[in-house]
Amino acid sequence: MTTLLSRRTRRGPSPEQKEPVTVEEGTSAAEWVRRVMSRQETTLAIVVVVVGVLAAMKSDLFLDSDNLLEILRSSVIYFVMGCGAGLLIIGGGLDFAAGAIFTLSALMASKMLVSSVPWPIAILGGLALAALVGAINHVVITYWHVPPIIATLGMFYMLTGVDNLVTGGNDVIGLPQVVQDIGQGSILGVPNIVLIAIVVGLWFWVLLERTRFGVNVRALGGNRAAAVANGVRATRVDLALYVLSAVTAGLAGVIYSARVGSAQVTAGGSSTTLIVVTAVLIGGVSLLGGLGSIQGIAIGAVLLSLIDNALVLSNIPPQYNTIVVGAILVGAVAIDHLRRERIFRKR
Amino acid sequence: MAADRATPALQLRGVKKFFGSVSALEDVALDAYAGEVHAIVGDNGAGKSTTIKIITGIHSADEGDVMVQGERMASRRSAADAHEHGVSVVYQDLALVECLDIAHNMALGNLPRKYGVILDRRKMEREAAVVLKELKVRVGNVRTPVGLLSGGQRQVVAIARAVRMDKPIILLDEPTAALGVQETAHVGEIIDELKAAGKAVICVTHDLDFAFKHADKVTVLRLGRSVGTRTVADVSRDEVVGLITGAIPGDTRTAEVA
Ligand SMILES: Nc1ncnc2c1ncn2[C@@H]1O[C@H](COP(=O)(O)OP(=O)(O)O)[C@@H](O)[C@H]1O
Ligand SMILES: [Mg+2]
Repeated sequence: MTTLLSRRTRRGPSPEQKEPVTVEEGTSAAEWVRRVMSRQETTLAIVVVVVGVLAAMKSDLFLDSDNLLEILRSSVIYFVMGCGAGLLIIGGGLDFAAGAIFTLSALMASKMLVSSVPWPIAILGGLALAALVGAINHVVITYWHVPPIIATLGMFYMLTGVDNLVTGGNDVIGLPQVVQDIGQGSILGVPNIVLIAIVVGLWFWVLLERTRFGVNVRALGGNRAAAVANGVRATRVDLALYVLSAVTAGLAGVIYSARVGSAQVTAGGSSTTLIVVTAVLIGGVSLLGGLGSIQGIAIGAVLLSLIDNALVLSNIPPQYNTIVVGAILVGAVAIDHLRRERIFRKR
Repeated sequence: MAADRATPALQLRGVKKFFGSVSALEDVALDAYAGEVHAIVGDNGAGKSTTIKIITGIHSADEGDVMVQGERMASRRSAADAHEHGVSVVYQDLALVECLDIAHNMALGNLPRKYGVILDRRKMEREAAVVLKELKVRVGNVRTPVGLLSGGQRQVVAIARAVRMDKPIILLDEPTAALGVQETAHVGEIIDELKAAGKAVICVTHDLDFAFKHADKVTVLRLGRSVGTRTVADVSRDEVVGLITGAIPGDTRTAEVA
């Protein structure tokens, strides 16, 4: 009895501890199936397949490999931005400035590129500016106590003005060929930008699922007071989250510019902000924080791009697109609520 | 207890705390020693939880000193600093993160790592399972989200969390409030074991039976003041009740064993 703590303080096995302590994983196949089926990612993957099958029935072009690659390619922007935006929402924050940061970084990097700055430095310049904006968001939220939704919405409006002022409303055109090659090329048939998205996604997956930081993010989003009381340093984590959200928005802007060969003042903006938040929420990230995954965000991004593509190929007027997306968004969040009710019973 | 002559593991002197114009603590003093269980009792709103939160740094005292192993603590510090100074705590109201599983909650704030950056989940889960087993806590799989547990189960997980931290000072705020008879007895056993392991255990409680059964000393808080500290072996229940209600006036110099 009395050896309880001394035994554990002394490292190394003691005689009584020979008997292995099991973690009691659910190992049976039935348990595994139950776990997988109860995840939102699974529901979503099924929706993706259903939409795909319907689209394939409506149009022979759909299953064409070029078309499938195009769906992936256009999901890259949503996904890359969604990684940062989603992680922030999991951590209990929100970033409505993302769409304007997208444009700002693209413009910054492109201005540097057309002034013959070497491309790696130009891209880093664009991303550094984004990081600065993220840090400012954090300061306004943490030290001025402005709620995230207001702070970042205000930042969105200010940056939109800045974006227009510095360019006089004109796009930055004629990006160097090397950058366009990166944005448009592919390796072994896989578009470069899809490869970039995969690298970004893996990095964020490791960050969220396999580091202390990731656990602290979930803890803060799930129950901020408890996380802080238990020793999570909230201010540091918040700073990192707002910077990451801004940097992925900037990166998405740079990727988009590289793909189209110019930085457009009208790219990004409020529609991009909203579509990314939508992709993230459809992907099972809870607006209430704590829950969500990078896999889910990936499926959400692909689903939006897939719906877009499928409706076009099926000759359905574009107005239906937003109707469908809106319905899916509401449905996904309703399912999220049911899921939370089930996971978090009242004590 | 031989530890009496040593430096107190935890010492409070003249601690005051206002929330706006509300005075939550007027004057709190306390000496808690290693190898002893020190109960803090008092009516609702007496300032027990506020005292705990000042010790851990959630609130900062407006006046007064908090000393850990004789070292004066800065009044502005975070909860993370308390861990570093050897204090672990089970809060009454903000204990666990519901969306994380038992193992994550038990390690939160001190998550094990491997290769410098990667979370060592295996170690985390093994440690959690070992502590729960030693405490004879049955909550099933350590991967169960805390949100799925009952109030009593959450309470024992929170206590197990503090035990896992293995700090010399352990603060428990009403650890048995949500528990049934059997679970309460179980928590009492855990407290006895912590004491035997040489920890300084400070336990806020409403339950005088519990305090008389497990504590060595008892400090009574009344309206934000520590009105008396007594050795449990030498004090009657009536005297403690009298101090709590104010029927017996408090000591002029608090926190000295009468
Ligand atoms: N965060 C807070 N803000 C304002 N008043 C508070 C806060 N926390 C506690 N109080 C007040 O301080 C007093 C002591 O509360 P507390 O320490 O929780 O009492 P106890 O734990 O002994 O029941 C009460 O009057 C309570 O209303
Ligand atoms: Mg209390």
